[in-house]
Amino acid sequence: MPGKVKAYELQSKSKNDLGKQLTELKNELLTLRVQKIAGGSASKLTKINTVRKSIARVLTVTNQKARQNLREYYKTKKYLPLDLRPKKTRAIRRRLTSHEKSLKTLKQRKKDIHFPQRKYAVKA
Amino acid sequence: MAATKSTKGKAAAAKNSKAGAKDAKAKSAKKAALQGVHGHHSRKTRFSVSFHRPKTLRLPRDPKYPRTSIPHAPRMDQFRTIVSPLNTESAMKKIEEHNTLVFLVDIKSNKRQIKDAVKKLWDVQAAKVNTLIRPDGKKKAYVRLTADHDALDVANKIGFI
Repeated sequence: MPGKVKAYELQSKSKNDLGKQLTELKNELLTLRVQKIAGGSASKLTKINTVRKSIARVLTVTNQKARQNLREYYKTKKYLPLDLRPKKTRAIRRRLTSHEKSLKTLKQRKKDIHFPQRKYAVKA
Repeated sequence: MAATKSTKGKAAAAKNSKAGAKDAKAKSAKKAALQGVHGHHSRKTRFSVSFHRPKTLRLPRDPKYPRTSIPHAPRMDQFRTIVSPLNTESAMKKIEEHNTLVFLVDIKSNKRQIKDAVKKLWDVQAAKVNTLIRPDGKKKAYVRLTADHDALDVANKIGFI
């Protein structure tokens, strides 16, 4: 029975280790729930909360690692899975990208080169 | 005379045919350039009065990227289906007399999942499962064990006697 599960310890574990720890914790939760109805001591009952949060921590770390690995895998690819793309808001996702906004026609570029906005100063 | 004439004729015919072949090619090229090459489709004859949607090619899915990056682990695993056993008086009666265990169970689980979960968690084979939803919103499952398991022993093993 591990004393307290800490996130930074979990980060160094492998995927299989994390999976095993998860099933251990879930089994522990089950036994605690059984003891609850069989009249367990107060310490056992408070342990239920810590075990639930530990399970959450293990799952968080598992998912974090998996998603990070996937992001590295997709770095070279053209299309990302939808949940790895930036979420922001629906409207923001549909806006023109900053590159698309900056595009100008050849005609406009020539005008800008040949007829830029001039600044004048009056000599005092 | 006839022989020579015929050979001459043949040679001439051969020449003609060669010239004729080239000529024909030139003529068809000219026609294609001027008229286009699509002029020869006749109308399809229809044999039925009603028009049915023509069958077209249906390709199977071949996605360029998965839509969700990580497919989810099965959500209703054995730990989620079974919440806790019941040890009320009537539940105890069931254990002793009818060889059944009584559990509180996730409300979204079904009998097959409950059977599986009991098997996975405590190595017990269930003969049948009856379920009901209590008035307080929780699901109760009566799990009758097969004759080669003793409910009392299993209950002791689980720990709630």
